[in-house]
Amino acid sequence: MTIERRTDHGCREAFDRLYAYLDGELTEDQHEAVRRHLAACRDCFAVAEFESAYLRFVEARTPSGRAPEHLRKRILRSLLFGERRPEP
Amino acid sequence: MDPANRRSDHCESPEVEPSYAGSAGRRGETGIVAHSSDAQRHAFEREALPHLDAVFRVALRLSGNQALAEDLAQETMLKAFRAWHQYRPGTNVRAWLLTILRNTFINEYRKRRRATAEVNVSDIESFTVFPEVQETDPEGRFFEQIVDEDVLKAIDALPDEFRESLVLSDVEGLSYQEIAEITEVPVGTVKSRIYRARQALQRVLYDYAVEMGYIKPRK
Repeated sequence: MTIERRTDHGCREAFDRLYAYLDGELTEDQHEAVRRHLAACRDCFAVAEFESAYLRFVEARTPSGRAPEHLRKRILRSLLFGERRPEP
Repeated sequence: MDPANRRSDHCESPEVEPSYAGSAGRRGETGIVAHSSDAQRHAFEREALPHLDAVFRVALRLSGNQALAEDLAQETMLKAFRAWHQYRPGTNVRAWLLTILRNTFINEYRKRRRATAEVNVSDIESFTVFPEVQETDPEGRFFEQIVDEDVLKAIDALPDEFRESLVLSDVEGLSYQEIAEITEVPVGTVKSRIYRARQALQRVLYDYAVEMGYIKPRK
């Protein structure tokens, strides 16, 4: 990957911080630095677009499934009456 | 690109007692949940029970099995109920429940997890997928052809510490700080696990897409 060779112009740093950037986990200053770099560097921008699409994909493919209703009832029952826990 | 902050719910750090797992893990002589006052039960039902869905989803990915996940989720909620006096109102109840879940899984359920063919993260993490597809599919459209079930299967094949970090981050949307507290490792370790888990999963999905003919490998 060409990123490995591009150690100047902030590519390396932007790459290292890319996930934290996409996750909204950087400080304001760090976030702004990465944002500015991506706006100026076409190669890094393309990587960021790809990784961002990947994360959206994983999120979309892991549906927000609900706990089964019978489990909810079972738990409510044990809260109310006390019940033996399932034996491991 | 102006990435939306994917985390919609940065919460305050959970005030989980460090000694919590041990004390909550003990069960009474009879194994029966003690009757508590109605007020306590109502508070628990109001504040903790709405997180049962998240508890169950994580239990399912940790245990890899519907029946085990149900037992694990129930066990978690009952332990939490017994330890409800330790919970400080206003703190992050979801992270607190997930901490109990993780400890219960590790202490009592992990050995019962069905054996899966585990992905060796070290073997594949040095490969990045983007260079393989930048000419043909730089937007990663090939991902869209992979169905839910195969993504979940690929997640289930990740080793424990990577799977739990990825599930908490990418399925449940928890912050690095919350994950650090739940998994009891420094934030830097969480960051590195999430990075490696995502890259490993991406590689597995890419290889699968090639195998299925969704994308042609680079010559």
